[in-house]
Amino acid sequence: MTAPAAKRHSATLERIDAFRWRIPRSAQEGMRVDGLVFADDSLIEPLRGDPCLNQVANVATLPGIIGNSLGMPDLHWGYGFPIGGVAAFAVDEGVVSPGGIGFDINCGVRLLRSDLEIADIKRAADQLADALFRAVPGGVGAHTGRRLDRVELDDVLRQGAAWPVAAGHGTADDLLVTEEGGCLDGADPSQLSERARLRGANQLGTLGSGNHFLEVQVVDRLLDPPTAAVLGLHAGQITVMIHCGSRGLGHQVCTDHVAVMDRAVHRYAITIPDRQLACVPLGSPEAHAYLGAMAAAANFAWANRQLITDAVRRTFASVFGPHHALPLVYDVSHNMAKFERHHVDGREVDLCVHRKGATRAFPAGHPGVPDAYREIGQPVLIPGDMGRSSIVGVGLPGAMAETFGSTCHGAGRTMSRHAALRQLRGVNLVDELRHDGIVVRVDRRGLLAEEASVAYKDVEAVVRVAAGAGHVRPVARLRPVVVVKG
Amino acid sequence: MDASPGQVGGTPRWHAAVAHTADVGVRATAPDPRALLEEAAAALAELSADVSQAKRRRPEAIEVRADDLPALTFAWLNELIGLADARGEALVEARMEDLESTPDGWLARGTAGFAAYDADVRPRLQVKAATFHRLKVAREGEGWALEAYFDV
Repeated sequence: MTAPAAKRHSATLERIDAFRWRIPRSAQEGMRVDGLVFADDSLIEPLRGDPCLNQVANVATLPGIIGNSLGMPDLHWGYGFPIGGVAAFAVDEGVVSPGGIGFDINCGVRLLRSDLEIADIKRAADQLADALFRAVPGGVGAHTGRRLDRVELDDVLRQGAAWPVAAGHGTADDLLVTEEGGCLDGADPSQLSERARLRGANQLGTLGSGNHFLEVQVVDRLLDPPTAAVLGLHAGQITVMIHCGSRGLGHQVCTDHVAVMDRAVHRYAITIPDRQLACVPLGSPEAHAYLGAMAAAANFAWANRQLITDAVRRTFASVFGPHHALPLVYDVSHNMAKFERHHVDGREVDLCVHRKGATRAFPAGHPGVPDAYREIGQPVLIPGDMGRSSIVGVGLPGAMAETFGSTCHGAGRTMSRHAALRQLRGVNLVDELRHDGIVVRVDRRGLLAEEASVAYKDVEAVVRVAAGAGHVRPVARLRPVVVVKG
Repeated sequence: MDASPGQVGGTPRWHAAVAHTADVGVRATAPDPRALLEEAAAALAELSADVSQAKRRRPEAIEVRADDLPALTFAWLNELIGLADARGEALVEARMEDLESTPDGWLARGTAGFAAYDADVRPRLQVKAATFHRLKVAREGEGWALEAYFDV
């Protein structure tokens, strides 16, 4: 059942403090909890009248939602859930919604650190850019040329990042600093359609297109030197950031299960204000099937980022010699539903936390944080845009108290692709970026305009809100030097 | 995306892109639902690649079922997206040969043509999926209109 379209919520926004805005549950029929959006004055103004606020309110109508329907500081219009949306559901009376995780299941970011300095890269930036562009297949229709057989694909879906590591494409240390060790429990390859398998079989190790990227960056500012030291980061150091997900396999998993839930939502008498919010009760057969498929797709994504990591390491070795290790700092997920235990109203409760375009941000001491970082908190990787910067931070207790241990996943778009193309018509972005010291390789030049800085919020402004709200402590700023786009 | 050629009299066959902050939408009109879904497929093909010079390959048969027209649209567009991605090729065109309303819902049969990416077929956008978000398929005047959003 689909409820009537919701009204716009700009008029119902209530300021709580400098970083928090409430959409009261009285604002829209059916809201079970308030909406809570994290933004300062500069970030909230463009959102007034934007459909993303309706989406925060729509999510608040879903059965079993706990706490608030949350909008992170990079909040923007998505489909069903907003991008930058977080919602937690009680395991006994809540739901799971594939649209609340997204089509690109376990889209995420990982960061590698090197022992190279900016001067090393400056000498070889073009050579490195060309080599990376060749080594990591990207763009629309990208494939590796090798199709995994059924047994291999099943192993990937069950083992995640451990599969390529076992084959020599990484180290055991990589798994220690990957969220969930690079493998989500409960993966059930039998829940994937043949179409999903077909789409994924030759895409493992590919970057994809759109906002996915591979960047060589320099640490250009330390914001918290002692914490940066624990992460192995220092000023002037070269790092590599990889952003991609589960490719066509994950897209098909979401498509298949949205269709199933669209039919099932009637049977469970759930009323939703947007059909893309199709959902089923946790514990139902449809939920079990989706969660098994989602975990399998998540594992595919971790294996994908691990293989790209291996390609990057081999490329650096070919350009700079074999003695430059690129250890993994951390790997975070953006689009996922996870079963986690949180404190709610003074009680510990088990929840299914949906993060769509949002990053986990667990604080120091949490058992989900790798041993190496247990004393500083989970590393939080927040990519910006290709012309400005990205931020490395760590999770804080405020995130556990308020956002189920979550924060922003990036800068967040401010304009459509069409608007960006119009605004940048006639501009040679390759030359402009080179003027700023950034070498770019891209499969399609139009993509540069669509993904240009003008299309995104300033990530530093976004992180200021996450920090001001007490969710993240910024540790280091990274500036792009080489950008590879699919 | 430019509008496609219309027809003389009645609701024209037409489509255009609709702006969306993170993703992309399309709007289409046609005299009947069958033509409307073909028009939506044409919009999808244009979003995904420049196929104006493509040499169409042997058509592949498509059959999709759903409970209602929006769900059929979701299934039809995602079938085209999934087939193109699985083949690693660009969708060039799709024809719906049969669209019927049955006691169990809607059934559509058609064909789709795909072409390999090369100098004549240049990719534009990686379309991951069609969504149900704001998906509308309804009578409009004497014809039919559709609005759909894609995850890209």
